[in-house]
Amino acid sequence: MRRTGLLYDERFLLHKTGPGHPETPDRLIVLQRALEEAGLLPKLIPIPATPSKMKWIETVHAPKYIYRLEEACILDLGELDSADNQICPQTYETALLAVGGILNAIDMLMEGKIDNAFCAVRPPGHHAETNKALGFCYFNNVAIAARYLQVQWKVGRIGIVDFDVHHGNGTQHIFEEDSEVFYYSIHEHPSFAYPGTGREFEKGSGPGLGTTLNSTVLPGQGDEVYKEKIVQDLMPAFGEFKPEVILVSAGFDAHAEDDMSDTKLSTEGFSWMMQKVFQMAGQYSGGRIISVLEGGYSLAALPELITDHIRILLDLEHSD
Amino acid sequence: MFIDKSMTKDVVTVSPETPVLAAQTLMAQKNIRHLPVVVENDFLVGIVSDRDIRSAMPSTVLSETEKAAEEKRLTAIKVKDIMTRNPVTISPTQTLEDALIMMQNCKVGAFPVVDQVGKLKGMISVRDLMRAFVNVLGLEEPGALLGIVVEDKLGQMKIVVDAITEQRVSFGSILVARVWEEGKRAVFPYLLTNNPSKVKNRLRELGFTLLDPMEWYLDQLPKK
Repeated sequence: MRRTGLLYDERFLLHKTGPGHPETPDRLIVLQRALEEAGLLPKLIPIPATPSKMKWIETVHAPKYIYRLEEACILDLGELDSADNQICPQTYETALLAVGGILNAIDMLMEGKIDNAFCAVRPPGHHAETNKALGFCYFNNVAIAARYLQVQWKVGRIGIVDFDVHHGNGTQHIFEEDSEVFYYSIHEHPSFAYPGTGREFEKGSGPGLGTTLNSTVLPGQGDEVYKEKIVQDLMPAFGEFKPEVILVSAGFDAHAEDDMSDTKLSTEGFSWMMQKVFQMAGQYSGGRIISVLEGGYSLAALPELITDHIRILLDLEHSD
Repeated sequence: MFIDKSMTKDVVTVSPETPVLAAQTLMAQKNIRHLPVVVENDFLVGIVSDRDIRSAMPSTVLSETEKAAEEKRLTAIKVKDIMTRNPVTISPTQTLEDALIMMQNCKVGAFPVVDQVGKLKGMISVRDLMRAFVNVLGLEEPGALLGIVVEDKLGQMKIVVDAITEQRVSFGSILVARVWEEGKRAVFPYLLTNNPSKVKNRLRELGFTLLDPMEWYLDQLPKK
């Protein structure tokens, strides 16, 4: 069994998106209940959520944008940059807490207090650009985590695996010229799904050419294609890159029951994929994984998907 | 959609007296495939393409002695010897649609843009048109595409647009496939949202059929 950390804080529920919005606080409520029912909570090491210092947010986001988000929340403007991005007066603080909690998870990981962690945060992050809120995302949690690993912990090679069904345009853009961060994403083909980026020919640029990799899945495709692409694309790429830490943008919206996509990944398919990530972390990264929640909107499917995900991190099959 | 808004204005040109080898080097350096040929005051007299130049080059199967003789001959060849005289041109006040149809008809990859008196003003190439259409399609803005079958009759688009607007979703673009099946058209709105499912649900409530994404097409070759 591994020492797995769990970042969860009731204050993540304070970011409210209004009626009818799929990115709701209920996503975390059903998750918390499921973890309790599965008896997993006593096995997990709690990670505290504290607001991130501004200097870490600024490793990714433009100060003007940070200010714009804060102001929009204080003035209760209701949305930022698009009606997709609903905000409330607590959105800004919640987003800071989510980032700060993830940075705490990284500290515990690098200090050897945990082996890996799952961060059940809201709001999600991978669409957020340096100066723009997009697709329900405000601060790019995983991108800031990668910068923090580079700056605070001097980690030389960071691997990001993004299996949210939507391409993480923000994360890709932030690291496309950075050869020390490998961004891998598997998602529904951009001609059929938001945000329209992440085509297979996008491979990074300048010094970062070759450390961005996109695998695309067509509407209706599921486990078989996911397995094929993970084996053909991700595994050889990480085998060569050998990340010292793996960050996961864990979105669960590729699931067959999630109506945000037309892909048909099964619950078992998700587990298979995460097992592979877990194995790669064992091979290259000393087991170090920080997994961060992105999308996933089926309140029926989420509890099982995430408890399975956490069971893999705990490595319960190899209990000692 | 006038040509002068989308054409390349900073055009690399050669004169009729430019050696072909120099023109070839110039194309490689600038990564271009067409060189307009001009005389004094930018009057267009011809165009030379990379294909024209390749045809003038010696065959790769020549022997060494033949090659040396050929190369000597080549240094003497000038652009005026191989250029297309009186090429098809387009005027700055014609439109992108004109250029698109002309390219399809003439099977040409680029047109010199000349004014009424015959002076070169720019070049418009397939690349320029593609850039314009990437922009028109809204491909560089985050969004999601839907495919909807509508009756081929007045007022259908209004219903679709109103339904989407009610959901407070903005449009990146709307494409209409003119011919779908008998009496039907297919409408492809590109929506600037991460959450197209609420729009899909609304359209279904209104009785529209949403197309299976694996069946989408904008154009397909005529059935034989």
